[in-house]
Amino acid sequence: MLEELRFGFPILSVLMFLPLLGALLLWVLKDVDLIKKSALGICVLELGLSALLLLRFVPESAAMQFSERLNWIPGLGISYHLAVDGISILFVGLTAFLTVLIVLYSWDSVRENIKAYFMSLLALETALMGIFVSIDLILFFVFWELMLIPSYFLIKLWGVGPERHYAALKYVLYTLLGSVFMLLGFCLLSLNYFTVTQSYSFDLLELMTVPVPLGQQILIFWMIFLGLAFKAPLFPFHTWLPDVLVQGPIGMSVVLAGVKLATYGFLRFSFPLLPEASTNQTVVAIVMTLALIAIVYGAIIAIIQPDFRRLLVFSSISHLGFVVLGLFALNFQGLQGSLIQMINLGFTTAGLFFLAGFLYDRLGNTLIDRCGGLARRLPVLATFLLIIGLASIGLPGTNGFIGEFLILLGAFQAHWVYGVVAVSGVIFAASYFLWFYERAMFGPLVANLPQTLKDLTQREKIIAVALSVMIFWIGLYPSPFLRMINGSVQEVVDRLDHGAMAWNRSGDETMVTQMVKD
Amino acid sequence: MTFDLVLSGSDLLLLAPEIFLTIWLCVILIIDFSLKDLDHEKLAYLSVGGVLVTLITLMWFDYTGVSGTLFKNMFVLDRLAIFFKIFVLLSTAFVILISVDYVKFFRFFRGEYYFLVLMSALGMMFMASANDLLSVFVTLEFSTFGFYVLVTYLREDLKSSEAGLKFFILGVFAAGLLAYGISLVYGATGTMVFGEMASHQGSYGLAIGFVLIFAALGFKIGAVPFHSWIPDTYQGAPTPVTAFLSIAPKGAAIAILIRMFYVALATFKPMWVLLFVLASILSMTYGNIVAIAQKNIKRLLAYSGIAQMGNILIGLAAGTKRGSDAIMFYLLTYLFANLGAFAVVIGVSNLIKSDEIEDYNGLNRRSPFLAAAMLIFLLSLAGVPPLAGFIAKLYLFIAAIEQELYALLIVALINIVIALYYYLIVIKKMYINEPHDPTPLTISTPLKTAVYVGLAGTLILGIYPKPFIDWAVAATLMFSNLAAPTASVPAVTSLVGG
Repeated sequence: MLEELRFGFPILSVLMFLPLLGALLLWVLKDVDLIKKSALGICVLELGLSALLLLRFVPESAAMQFSERLNWIPGLGISYHLAVDGISILFVGLTAFLTVLIVLYSWDSVRENIKAYFMSLLALETALMGIFVSIDLILFFVFWELMLIPSYFLIKLWGVGPERHYAALKYVLYTLLGSVFMLLGFCLLSLNYFTVTQSYSFDLLELMTVPVPLGQQILIFWMIFLGLAFKAPLFPFHTWLPDVLVQGPIGMSVVLAGVKLATYGFLRFSFPLLPEASTNQTVVAIVMTLALIAIVYGAIIAIIQPDFRRLLVFSSISHLGFVVLGLFALNFQGLQGSLIQMINLGFTTAGLFFLAGFLYDRLGNTLIDRCGGLARRLPVLATFLLIIGLASIGLPGTNGFIGEFLILLGAFQAHWVYGVVAVSGVIFAASYFLWFYERAMFGPLVANLPQTLKDLTQREKIIAVALSVMIFWIGLYPSPFLRMINGSVQEVVDRLDHGAMAWNRSGDETMVTQMVKD
Repeated sequence: MTFDLVLSGSDLLLLAPEIFLTIWLCVILIIDFSLKDLDHEKLAYLSVGGVLVTLITLMWFDYTGVSGTLFKNMFVLDRLAIFFKIFVLLSTAFVILISVDYVKFFRFFRGEYYFLVLMSALGMMFMASANDLLSVFVTLEFSTFGFYVLVTYLREDLKSSEAGLKFFILGVFAAGLLAYGISLVYGATGTMVFGEMASHQGSYGLAIGFVLIFAALGFKIGAVPFHSWIPDTYQGAPTPVTAFLSIAPKGAAIAILIRMFYVALATFKPMWVLLFVLASILSMTYGNIVAIAQKNIKRLLAYSGIAQMGNILIGLAAGTKRGSDAIMFYLLTYLFANLGAFAVVIGVSNLIKSDEIEDYNGLNRRSPFLAAAMLIFLLSLAGVPPLAGFIAKLYLFIAAIEQELYALLIVALINIVIALYYYLIVIKKMYINEPHDPTPLTISTPLKTAVYVGLAGTLILGIYPKPFIDWAVAATLMFSNLAAPTASVPAVTSLVGG
């Protein structure tokens, strides 16, 4: 079994429940200004805590760190087991970071029901944190589902589009449909554990010690796949995404496009628990085909979108295809690139959604033909749009390049066809973004723009600068981030290469060394 | 056969809770007609007090392990019986609390209302202890008589009379089926006692007999295809009676079902599994799909109740100890969430005199507390984590997986999605729509207490379910010899048929 490191103080529980307690605090507050400031304070505190977590994290290690464990429902082997490792650590930081930015963004742009909005947002943060720090499958599922409730209200109550009611319902029901199958998959895994050990367990680390026969692995893989694919969303399960991201509030779009929960799920659960199924040729071929379709389809559809946010939706689908491509290349570069790319998308795609939000706040829509020549009126906005946009299409020197380069390297190693098709996606990406930028920012100034068109405010600048700093930091000096994830990625690759056997062996070794120590 | 009745002191102890409750309900009746000016609210609290005393006695029994059988095995007191008695009493106390305001709308017989509620509760306590076919029949009818009157309590309301008539006719029909089934089973086995049937050979007579008994109990729990009385009766009956009807008799009937099929018929399991699987699939699917179209909140809860019973039947279909544990834990979570939801419905209908879902528009503006409570109850009913309903459903699913009931599971999983849809419709009305009339709503203390109890139960059972699961596990220890899981995970090939 994997080594577990403990920490003197239950930092993960605090990280998880701090936003929820904050939401309860907001409930009793009356003054609008105080509510905003408290929400910001809580999020900044959360960011500080997660920064502490990142600093104390031991890099180049596959160990489960900051581990906490309590029994929850012992009869079914369900435990309250929290830990982070190289796979999840960066997501914790990313979630805290993006939430702060969303609070900043929402400061003036949310005008109704401010208290409920920030409460929902903080509840959503708790659910996201819970997803990333849970090691127990059921605990993970609890947060996975819990996320739907604040999301539903966020989309429904503060959505900007007229179809938001439909979008909220569609989002909840679609993802729930996938999730219930994932739950069934988890239960089957636990049942398999039961047939070997005569007791149930939903603990990831315990489940990994028991081999699963190949036929069952494949069945369980597809069940979990359904849950993840609906949430991701992977082509062809993506139909809810345009509705939600265009109709919903910008904050929600940022979370859904920026925090890649589902692809994290592959690395967290599918690969370690089902290594033989994940490397099965048919499975890989099907998933790779879907990923390639997503890359090319998303990018081509993005070119012809008349609306900036819809363009971003399809570019997001295309980027997600890259992530899945890297994952199922099943080699070190691929996995490393995918993981770092998931984090990158939290800065680039999410960043573009922020900028779309800035545009929306100024123009009342994001239709591309209503823009034109905006660079003259909004030079700062245009500059940041260019920076984040170029990062999103993978310009060298930005974070997008690191991620896409590693993914393509991995894909070429797996099979040259994957690499070639994926590269075409990069070219389409350049064309959709640059063409959009040319139409929207350059060219003649369109008529009937609002008279009071102001450039970025102070708060908006903070958001844009924070995102740009992260983009260049990862782009120019990625090694601190890569060092954090390397240990765990190597561990997953080993497990994929040697199947479940490798882990049982290393588990025995740890036990032996422990006995020697004793 | 001669009947002789010998009761020793220790035998009386086994009956003590029932005897106490009998005396208590007589006291209530006497107080009601002797003290004419007494406020009826006091009678309600007196009843709740009596119920709580009985409840505590039973908890003490559970703790000290009092058990035994009486009257030639007709009556059994074991931990399973104690569990269901506590369940019935909890719901009774809850229902009396939510009735306090509603009773003021009755023109006559306000005191008798509490008497009838307690009498039905007494009948259901006996049901939980029924250990042979005759006592099943007697206790079932005994508990139903109280309900026949309670359902028609709104005498000027045509709907209430209609509800009573439907309930009565179908109830009597079910009683007929039950008697016929009992006679067939007795003919096939020559015994009435559950424990003695297991050793007999299966025969057509026995099979038909048990299908008939299942049908009769199916009426009580409202499983499809025996559900037809439920929506109209629920809608027409006074709302607290509906709440009572939606939980207590179902719990008691489930107690009989568990005892009958786990003890008497354990050896014939392959014959009856299909019965439960079909009833479960039909109940879940029908209940959930029809619930979508409902305009009245009581009807919506009626259909959602049918679907919830479908979920509980999953546990019976599993037919294992884990199945029974899951059922009992599920019933507990259902108790709090369902009665909590009814408490909110009563709170709203007392104030605005309407049960239409349309009138829940903007409830959040009018009473944030009621809306938030309803939100939590509905989400728990839908099985959204970390509320109680999720843990209970998970438990049921694991019980079913162990027995390889995959078709049933897939249907159940898809039903979760359908169910969330109509709960979300109500949630949407409460939170998104504008109220027709924005005056704030406030509810009385007893109702508020009931809502708080429901909320506490729903949250605690979800977040810290361990003691309650342990309780359910301990109550069903006698089934631990039943089929340990034999199943293994299917390979993909066995499903595809390769």
